[in-house]
Amino acid sequence: MTLQTSAIEPSVPRALIGVVVDNALVLALVTVFAIFSFATPTFLTIANLQSILVNNFTLLAIAAIAMTSAVSVGGIDLSVGTAIDFASFAFVSLVLAGQPVAIAALAGLGAGAAVGAFNAVLISGIGISPFLATLGTLFIGRSIQQLLTNGGNPVYLPPSGIPETFRFLGRGAIGGIPVPLIITAIIIVAATVILTRARFGRVALAIGIQPSVVRYSGIAARIHVAMAFILAGLIAAVAGLILSATVTVYIPSSGSAFLLNAIGATFIGTTLSRLGRPNIPGTVLGVLLLGIVANGLLLTGLNFYWQQVGTGLLIFAVLALSFITRRKASA
Amino acid sequence: MSTASPDETGDAIHLDGIVKRFDGALALNHASLRVRRGTVHGLVGQNGAGKSTLIKLLAGLHQPDEGRIKIDGEAYDRLTPHRVEELGIHFIHQDRLLVPTFTVDEALFLGREPRIAGTPFLDRRLMQRRASEILDDYFGIKLPNSALISELSTAEKQIVQITRALLDQPKVLVFDEPTAALVRREADILFRLIRRLRDEGVTIIYISHYLNEIEELCDTVTVLRNGEDVATLPLGETSAAAIARLMVARDIADLYPKRDVTPGKDILTLERLSAHGKYQDVSLTLRRGEVLGLTGLLGSGAKDLIRTLFGLESASSGQITINGKPVRSVNPAQAVDRHLALVPEDRRGNGVALDLSVKENITLSSLKRFTRLGFLDFNSERREADDLIRRLEIKTSGCNALVRTLSGGNQQKVAIAKWLSRHSEIYLLDEPTVGVDIGSKVEIYNLIGDLAARGAGIIVLSSDLPELIGITDRILVLFRGSIISEFTSSQTSPDDVLAASTGSSEVLRHVG
Repeated sequence: MTLQTSAIEPSVPRALIGVVVDNALVLALVTVFAIFSFATPTFLTIANLQSILVNNFTLLAIAAIAMTSAVSVGGIDLSVGTAIDFASFAFVSLVLAGQPVAIAALAGLGAGAAVGAFNAVLISGIGISPFLATLGTLFIGRSIQQLLTNGGNPVYLPPSGIPETFRFLGRGAIGGIPVPLIITAIIIVAATVILTRARFGRVALAIGIQPSVVRYSGIAARIHVAMAFILAGLIAAVAGLILSATVTVYIPSSGSAFLLNAIGATFIGTTLSRLGRPNIPGTVLGVLLLGIVANGLLLTGLNFYWQQVGTGLLIFAVLALSFITRRKASA
Repeated sequence: MSTASPDETGDAIHLDGIVKRFDGALALNHASLRVRRGTVHGLVGQNGAGKSTLIKLLAGLHQPDEGRIKIDGEAYDRLTPHRVEELGIHFIHQDRLLVPTFTVDEALFLGREPRIAGTPFLDRRLMQRRASEILDDYFGIKLPNSALISELSTAEKQIVQITRALLDQPKVLVFDEPTAALVRREADILFRLIRRLRDEGVTIIYISHYLNEIEELCDTVTVLRNGEDVATLPLGETSAAAIARLMVARDIADLYPKRDVTPGKDILTLERLSAHGKYQDVSLTLRRGEVLGLTGLLGSGAKDLIRTLFGLESASSGQITINGKPVRSVNPAQAVDRHLALVPEDRRGNGVALDLSVKENITLSSLKRFTRLGFLDFNSERREADDLIRRLEIKTSGCNALVRTLSGGNQQKVAIAKWLSRHSEIYLLDEPTVGVDIGSKVEIYNLIGDLAARGAGIIVLSSDLPELIGITDRILVLFRGSIISEFTSSQTSPDDVLAASTGSSEVLRHVG
C-alpha cells in the first residue's frame, strides 16, 4: 500500500537536497580538497597534485575498479591482491628469463585472469559464497608465492637487464603525462562504458540487486557472475604489470596492500551514489578521496601512523553523509 | 481527558476526524473509524485510500495533523509504538519482519524475556511452556522451539507473530492483509482463530483486499476512499459487490471481463509428465488463444508443474511439446527462448527487482533486442518501456522510477510487461492477482484477455476460485499430483471446483 504522492510540489529545500544526494561524492571531494588547501601551503602545488595522481591514485584506482567488477554482481573479491601478485610474478620472471616484454605482459594478464577464473569456478561452478571463495584464494595464493620464491624472496631485475619498454610502462610519459596514468584513464573509461552501456553491465547490476529475478527472467546469471570475477582478475593484473614496471621488482604478496583501500573506495562510491549501486565514477572518486586524505595528512606534518585514522574517519563521514541525505530525501 | 467511561461508548478504538498530510499531499481527509469492543471490524479501500496511514496513526508511527484518537474512551495526544503496545493493541503484518536467525522462542519473547527469579538468566523452560501452551491451545500445532524463523513457512511465521501478541493478552488485534501469502486452508485456520478471539472478547481490526473474506468474517466494515471514510456498514446489510462499488465509486459491472477467443493451434502439450513425489501422469493441451485454469490445494502438484514447465524443476518422465517441437530438459533460459513466460507468485522476491527501475525491469528479459555489438541502445530501450507503460497503464512517475515506489498492482503489471517485451507466447501466471487492489485486478484480467486475443496461450494458477472461473475457458483440478477433473469455466461454480480440489467430489472425471 502506497501513499498518493503525485500531488507533491517539489519545494526549494527538497530540490537542494536532491542536488546534494546526487553529487554527494563530488561535494565531499571538494570539501576535503578545500580543507587541505587551506591547512597546508604545499598541498595545492602542481608537483603535489601530480604526486597524488601517480602515487596515491593509479594502482589503487585499477585495483578498486577490479573490486567494483566483483561487487557489481553482489560479490566481493578479497583476492584482487593475489591477481596483482600473480601478474607481477609472471611478468617479472619472464622478463628476467629474457622473454620479450609483450609476451611477458600477456602472460601476466593471463595469470591475473587465471586467478579470476579460479574464483569463478568456486563461485559459479561449486556455489561457494564470493567472500569465502576469494578468501580461500587469498590464502592459497599467498602460499604458492612463498613456495615459488623460496619463502618470500623478492625477484629483482638487475638494473642492466631492464628492457626499455618495461621501464617505459612504469616510468615513461607521453606528452608529459605518465604512462601509468594514461593506462588508468583508459581502464576507467572502458569499465564505465561496460558497466553502464553494455548489456553485460546491466545484467551484472541486476544480479547484484536481486539475483532471483534475473534467474526468473531466463538469464544465465552464473555465467555473468563468472565473467565478472574473471574480469576482476584481468583488471587487477594490469595493476600488477604497472606495479612491477615501476619498482622493477616482484615482492611476494605485496598486492594485498591494496585490498582494504579498494574495498573502501568501492563502497564509498556505492554508498554515495544516488541509487546505491556500484559505479565506476563513484569508485574513482572514492580512490581520489582516500588518496587526498592520505597525502594531505602527510603534508600537515601529522605522524604517519595517524593516516589510517584519517581513512577510518573518512568512511564514517561518508556513511553519516549518506544516512542524513537519504533520510532527508525520503522524509 | 476522558469524557465518557468505556462502558458508555463501547468503543475499543475511535479515530475521530483524522486529517494527515504528507508533504502537502492529503493522505487522510477527516477520516473516522469507530470499532466496537469485541467485534471483527473490516477496513477496506483501494491502494492509496488511506488504510495504511490510518493504521500507522493508530500504531503511533505517525501523529495526526487534526482529529483525535480515543482508545477505550480515553483520548491520547501523542501515541508511541511502545505506549500502544502497553494499551494492549497489537499489529499482525505480513511484512513485519521477524529476525530470521532467531529461534521460535527467542522471536516470541524478544524484548520481554522472562528471567529466572533473582538472576539475569533467561528462563528458557518458562518460555517454552508458555509458547507451547498457546500454540497448542489456539493453533493445535507444535513448532519446534529451536527451529529458526528462516526455516518456517509464511504461515508459520504468521503464527509466531500472532502467538507473540497473544502472550500479552491483547485487547485489540490488527490484521493487515494477513491472508495475502496464505493458501485457503491456512486462511481457514486463521479465520477460526479470529472468531474464537472475538468470542473471548478481543477486538479485531481486519484489513484485506479480499472482499469475500470481509463478507465471511467481519461484523462491520468501514470503506475508505481517497482518504475519507465513505461508509461504515454492518455486514448483514451489505455484500461484497456493494462494498466493491463503494471502494471504486463506480459499478464494476463486469468484474471478470471475459472475451470470446476461438482457440487456434496447439501451443503446449504435456504427455504423461511425472516428477517423483510431486505429480504423476499429467497430460494436458494448451491452445493458442486459450486461458487454461489450474488449481489444487497446497501439495497438489499444480505449482510444481508450472515450475517444471519453466525449467525451475525437472520432470522424471513424460514428454513436453512446445509449438510442435518435443522438448527435453530445460532451464529457465531455454524456456524463455522457447517463448515461455512465468509470472511467479512471489512478486517482490522473484517477479520484479524492487531496486531496478521500471524500464530496467521491463527490458531485463529482452535486453538482446536492444543490444548492438554488446552495447545497449538506450533510445530504443526507453521507447519500448514507455510504450508498455502506456499500453498497460502502469501508474508510475516515469520509466526511471524504482519499482519499489509502485503499488502492488502496478508492480505486477511490470512483471507481465517484461514478458510482453520478450514477445512470449506461453504465459504461466502463478496467483497473478495476490495482494493487488480491485481496480488493478480488473486491468490485469483485461490484459490476460488481450494476450489470449493476440494468440498467446495462458495458464493461470489461482486459489481464488471465482477469479479462476471468471477469467479462464477451462479449469483442470489437481489432487495429490494427478488431474482429477476438468471443468468448462462457463458451466461450473466455485463450489464444484472446490469440491474437486479437496477430493470430495462425487463424480471424478478423469481426463487425458
